Amino acid sequence: MKKIWVLTLLLLAFACREKYVPQLNEPVTGYLVVEGFINSGTGPTAITLTRSTKLSSQAAIVKETKATVRVESKTNTNNFILTETSTGVYTYPQLLLNATDQYRLYVKTTNGKEYVSDFSVVRRTPDIDSVSWRVENGGVQIYANTHDAQAKTKYYQFKYDETWEFTSKYYTNLKIYNDRNGDAHHVGYRDSSNPAYALNLYRCWKTNIPTNILINTTEKLTQDVVSLYPLTYIEPASWKLGILYSINLKEYAISQEGFRFLDELKKNTEQLGSIFDAQPSGNNGNMHCLTNPDEPVIGFIEVSEEKQKRIFISNTQLPGWNYNMFCTDEVAVPNIPDSIKGSIGIPTRVAKAGISGLDFVFFGPALCVDCTLRGVSTKPTFWP
Amino acid sequence: MITGEFRNMPAETFLLDMERRTGYHFYYNKTDIDSIRVDFSVNNEPWRKTLGLAFSNTGLVFSEDGEHHVFISKHIVINTELAEELFDDAAKKAKKTSTKTNSITNTDTSQAENKATTANLENKLYTIGEKPKGALAPGRVTLAGYLHDSKTGEPIIGASVRIEGSKTGVISDQYGYYSITLPKGRSIINIQSLGIRDTRRQVMVYTEGKMNMDLQPMVIPLKNVIVSSERTSLIRGMQMGVQKIDIKAIKQVPVVFGEVDILRVVMTMPGVKTVGEASTGLNVRGGAADQNLILFNDATIFNPSHFFGLFSAFNPEVVKDLQLYKSGIPAKYGGRLSSVLEVNSREGNKKNITGSAGIGLLTSRINIEGPLAKDKSSFIFGARTTYANWLLDLLPSEYKNSRAAFNDINFNITHEINKKNSIYFTGYMSNDRFNLNNDTSYHYGNRNVSLKWKHVFNNKWYTVAATGIDSYNYDISSERNPATAYKLAFDINQYYLKTHVNYFASAKHTFEFGMNNLLYKLHPGKYTPMDNRSLIKADEMQAEQALETAFYLSDKYSISPNFSLEGAVRYSIYNYLGAQTVNNYAAGIPKTETNILGTSQYNSGQIVKTYQAPEIRATARYVINENLSLKAGYNTQRQFIHVLSNTAAIAPTDIWKLSDPNIKPQYGDQISLGIYHNMKSNTIETSLEFYYKRMQDYLDYKSGASLVLNHHIETDVLATKGKAYGIEFLIKKTTGKFNGWLSYTYSRTLLQMNDSTQGTVVNKGVYYPANFDKPHDVTFVGNIRVSHRFSLSVNATYSTGRPITLPIGRFFYAGAERTLYSDRNQYRIPDYFRTDFSMNIDGNHKVHQVFHNSFTIGVYNLTGRKNPYSVYYTTEAGVVNGYKLSIFGTIIPYINYNIRF
Repeated sequence: MKKIWVLTLLLLAFACREKYVPQLNEPVTGYLVVEGFINSGTGPTAITLTRSTKLSSQAAIVKETKATVRVESKTNTNNFILTETSTGVYTYPQLLLNATDQYRLYVKTTNGKEYVSDFSVVRRTPDIDSVSWRVENGGVQIYANTHDAQAKTKYYQFKYDETWEFTSKYYTNLKIYNDRNGDAHHVGYRDSSNPAYALNLYRCWKTNIPTNILINTTEKLTQDVVSLYPLTYIEPASWKLGILYSINLKEYAISQEGFRFLDELKKNTEQLGSIFDAQPSGNNGNMHCLTNPDEPVIGFIEVSEEKQKRIFISNTQLPGWNYNMFCTDEVAVPNIPDSIKGSIGIPTRVAKAGISGLDFVFFGPALCVDCTLRGVSTKPTFWP
Repeated sequence: MITGEFRNMPAETFLLDMERRTGYHFYYNKTDIDSIRVDFSVNNEPWRKTLGLAFSNTGLVFSEDGEHHVFISKHIVINTELAEELFDDAAKKAKKTSTKTNSITNTDTSQAENKATTANLENKLYTIGEKPKGALAPGRVTLAGYLHDSKTGEPIIGASVRIEGSKTGVISDQYGYYSITLPKGRSIINIQSLGIRDTRRQVMVYTEGKMNMDLQPMVIPLKNVIVSSERTSLIRGMQMGVQKIDIKAIKQVPVVFGEVDILRVVMTMPGVKTVGEASTGLNVRGGAADQNLILFNDATIFNPSHFFGLFSAFNPEVVKDLQLYKSGIPAKYGGRLSSVLEVNSREGNKKNITGSAGIGLLTSRINIEGPLAKDKSSFIFGARTTYANWLLDLLPSEYKNSRAAFNDINFNITHEINKKNSIYFTGYMSNDRFNLNNDTSYHYGNRNVSLKWKHVFNNKWYTVAATGIDSYNYDISSERNPATAYKLAFDINQYYLKTHVNYFASAKHTFEFGMNNLLYKLHPGKYTPMDNRSLIKADEMQAEQALETAFYLSDKYSISPNFSLEGAVRYSIYNYLGAQTVNNYAAGIPKTETNILGTSQYNSGQIVKTYQAPEIRATARYVINENLSLKAGYNTQRQFIHVLSNTAAIAPTDIWKLSDPNIKPQYGDQISLGIYHNMKSNTIETSLEFYYKRMQDYLDYKSGASLVLNHHIETDVLATKGKAYGIEFLIKKTTGKFNGWLSYTYSRTLLQMNDSTQGTVVNKGVYYPANFDKPHDVTFVGNIRVSHRFSLSVNATYSTGRPITLPIGRFFYAGAERTLYSDRNQYRIPDYFRTDFSMNIDGNHKVHQVFHNSFTIGVYNLTGRKNPYSVYYTTEAGVVNGYKLSIFGTIIPYINYNIRF
């Protein structure tokens, strides 16, 4: 039922959408933005403090530094002071929470203003049952599945990151050697003592963290079961599944209010642009300014726990997955300074070896040779 | 007294002699009498007896009228006092005889025939009642009857019936019925209406009587015969804030994809706005889209649109005309705050089976009509269907599997039981289906059935009783994921009985009174699993029911020919009925889930809550001179049913909600003033109207309101106050080679929510513009008739952009930049401007050919301007981007082919 916004697409045959920057009066908002959760499970608690900025401002995120940040219990028996471990990020290595108590976040900024969240019960997150996938319309649709046998969770937030392995189209064991003036002079082996040596330009890994809000509720179901919640769709023949792909799902149990906050945030910022848009509206969360109750604060802080599950999908599991990187053919050029200087791309391999060295070498487009232009060549620790 | 000897005298000579003696004029056909000789004598006998004696054994007969005219004919008496339709017949017979005997008159073109008949009818004197003995006592009497189209037998609605030389005039009603009071004696009645030839009837009225008139339709609208009844009614009529458009004018206006769309044409009228091109929701004088009562014949259409609001759900082949009341809403209508849109369907042809069919880019339509019993009853059937799937094929591959279809069906029957009783049946059905990528299916539709009975007691009294069922339903289902396969269904049904009585008390007073009973039954949401593996928890909202009863009485009082008043009171009683469980909230604090004190249970049929109040409708008219009049009006309205929608455009899946103990009925009142001026011998009409309107308990929504399957909807809505005001100017030329209209509207609609007992005030409690507040609006619709078979139409419209809520800043949250919102509707989208153009090409106009063809070729959005529907910011790949969305941001050509048979 929330899908009605998608119907806009129906009209996109004639509709058109173009970038537009209206004239706005932009007040200096500078509202405090509080993000994170109080971790009831294993692992650190991290709270990020930032400030809202002008819409048109090109500045990076404004971090709020040197604040006092505490996790307070309702019974006031165990409070934890977080320390600023990086600019604007306040952490506590491992909280020990009392399951029957309630906790809130307290923030005091350097300008002396105090902020608190509403108290939150200690919430645990059920385990992720599975991350499943199936081929749909030639691509791969990935789903989350989880449940709570006690039927207490009902509201879930998901986050994921995805990593995939890929290779360059062309392998290189050559490089350009410069003359004394720093101009390209000739192409030679990267390691003349070992012609087979190649720098790590061939095999890389790419990680992507999506920016959309993923939430789900089972409040309208008879059981607290999340079945086939769609996470992401991999387009047919995508490079993500060229070799091996991995997705790591994180799950958080959240409150009904927390769900509403995220849902509203999603509607306000991700689901606009249809014909039946709900009007965007103010949506601030559960943080309040004690010093000035009228001052808006953005963010929703509650106690939760992070559960994770990682799966791998191999290209071999997908017969007929035709990923092919489009690259122009390598071009053979004479290994003389003028030719080398005029060549575009990176030398890949030897075209013709002569008596005095390499007579002709191949050049390929940089993007097709150097995989670090698209990812990193360091193998992730979790990679098999 | 005649005395004399007439021996072997030619009849003609005899008659000339008689003319001299009596002073009467004798009319005859020479061939009838040229072989006849008279041979007799009389002594002091009356001339009538003399004539009888003279013509004995000749087969000649005679008759006379009240004006010393004597008509002599062979065998058949020309009766000058017969009812018109009999006369019509007699005239034809007479014509037959005359063509037999006189070949010169055999011209054989229908044009000439028509002319001849018309001339006959217009010059004939109709005698109503018996001539009294002695002098005619002075006084006024009532003449009433029906006006029909002589070709199709359809009633002629809205025709002006006026007594020549006086200021008395009435307008025929929706059944073609008129009732006019006139002085006894001789009068000339002028009849004018859209689509018929101007005509007149000479009457000699002795007593009250009936006179039905068959009027000639205009086959080809020529410059000198297009006469619109509105021209005079604009000045003389009591109505104000009323727009009437007939289907001919509607069909000329170019529209997107060439789909003739009556609601789009309504939007070109002053005071009518819409939030954007994708919506057929009308905002009349600052009212919301749910504040319009849309009546198709008598049936309420809850969702008058197809395809999520892109097209209106009325088949133009069946529609006759429409009338929009923006103020001065008649007392018989109620239950909506801002307007009543009456869409009248045609009645079927009572003489022959005819029909039409059309093919357009998106729809095909057919209609068939004809008599069930000649001149007594007729039917009309219309159907439309779409083949819009090609549109969907243009979508990105991800949506390739989407499918859409819609259709609508009309079926009407009119039956005249006898002169005093007629019944009307209307059936209407619309269906929309849409399947999004084999996943989520949407279906919605209207179903309406109504039966109406009209009974005429006598010339002064008639009554209309109507009953019927109106319903609307939608459902959304998804079966893609067995675990969450669901169906969500909603429906609204209303059962009504309306009785209305018209009483033409005297020339000065016309009374109308009646009673409306309306029973609502809503199923506000039923959520069920669709698969036996589905984990969906069935959730059904309690059915809602209510009874709305209204009594009304209105009096049209002509104080003098120039000054008239119309006053009406409508008393409406609304009962919200059980079975129901109602949430109770503590008074004086915001209604939230945590503030629910408990619930109250009510049994089936038990009255949960009653709202009752009188509504006042008043209009005054003062005619300054023939071409200038002033009118003023005041009306109050109440609305007991609300559409819950927090989107800018009204959606087919919006939920209707009845007023209950926690949600009060909406109340509105309006004061309006109008100046009406006709120029250039009534060919140009101008009007200037002002209004000021207040609204109370109009629903707005809290931030993040959840409207679907909400068992405590009162916690998500806000009762706001509103005010709207504006000026509407219209200049209209209805006749001539060039016709059309230009309208300008200045209007504002502002809402306020400053009641902190309801929750957080909106925009700090100050007035904020409503979603459809578009201050300036200029529309031009023009038509040039190049020849009788070719015409060009242009439509241009400009309006201020609608208000929107834009962000005041940005922040970083949940991995991306997000926008920060604050006050509602503080910005506007860019202004709107669009020009459309169309050419109408008709086949030849030979009246008697079997098929008539016509083409419409046009271009929508001629300038290709990318008019924004909305401006919004969205987070994409972690970054905030601003966009402008246009619905029809390109030039859209179209072609449409129609055939009539």
